[in-house]
Amino acid sequence: MSTRPEPLKVLTVCGVGMGSSLMLRMSVEEVLKKLGVTAKVEATDVSSARGMQADVIVGQGLHTEEFEGKAPVVVGISNFMDKEGLERQLTEAFQAEGWME
Amino acid sequence: MTDDLDGAVLLARAHRPADDWKDAIHEACAPLLDAGAITDTYPARCVALVEEHGPYIVLAPGIALAHARPEDGVRQLAVAVVTLEDAVTFGHDDNDPVDLVFAFGSPDADQHVGLLSSLAGHLLAGLADRLRAADDDAAIQRVLEEVRHVP
Repeated sequence: MSTRPEPLKVLTVCGVGMGSSLMLRMSVEEVLKKLGVTAKVEATDVSSARGMQADVIVGQGLHTEEFEGKAPVVVGISNFMDKEGLERQLTEAFQAEGWME
Repeated sequence: MTDDLDGAVLLARAHRPADDWKDAIHEACAPLLDAGAITDTYPARCVALVEEHGPYIVLAPGIALAHARPEDGVRQLAVAVVTLEDAVTFGHDDNDPVDLVFAFGSPDADQHVGLLSSLAGHLLAGLADRLRAADDDAAIQRVLEEVRHVP
C-alpha cells in the first residue's frame, strides 16, 4: 500500500508510439479525469518505454506483458474504445495499490 | 491545431476488396498514394511494422490503424479509410475480423497529434458505424470529413 503519486505518471505504449498509443492516451485521459485522478499521460513506443519510469503503463496485452512488475500498475487492454472496461481495470488496479478507496 | 486539420488530406473509399490483412493495408494506403501524400515505399513499411511489432494496430473490434514513420515516406499529413468488402484477420486475439482500415502518415513526430485526437474522439462517438454504413465513396468521404471538426 502506498500514497498515489500526484500527478500520476502514465505511459500509453504501442509499437511505434505514434498511432495506437496516441489513441489510447485519449481514452486514458478521459477515464482518469472521470475518476478525478490528476495525471500526466504520455504516448510512447515500447522500446523507449523500457528506459522510462512510470507509475502506470497501459497498452495492448501483447506489449504490456513485458512490463509486469516494472511499474506499480500495468494494464493490458484490447479495445481502446471500451472506456467502461478501462475504467474498471484502472479502478481495480488503483484499489489494489491503495491509491483509491 | 485547427490549421493542421484544415490542411490535412482526408480520403475515404467504400467496399474495397482485399485478400488478406496486407492487401487491406495496401488498399487503405492507395488513396494516399494516388494523392501524393505518401511515397510508394510507405505501404510496405506499414505492413513491415505489423510483422515486426504484432497486430497491435487493430485497436478495437473490427478496426485497424495502419501507419509507418515520418521517414518512411510522408509528404503531407493525411488519413485514409476503407471499408472492406470481406473482413480480414490480422491475428489479433480479441479484435479480429477487421472490416474498417485506416491508414495515416505524418511528415514529422507531431503534426498528426491533433488529427488523431480528433479521430479518436469521433471513433468514441460512433464514427466507425457511420463509416461502415456508407454505401459509396462519396458517402463515406462525407462521413470522414467530420474528423476535421474536433469533437
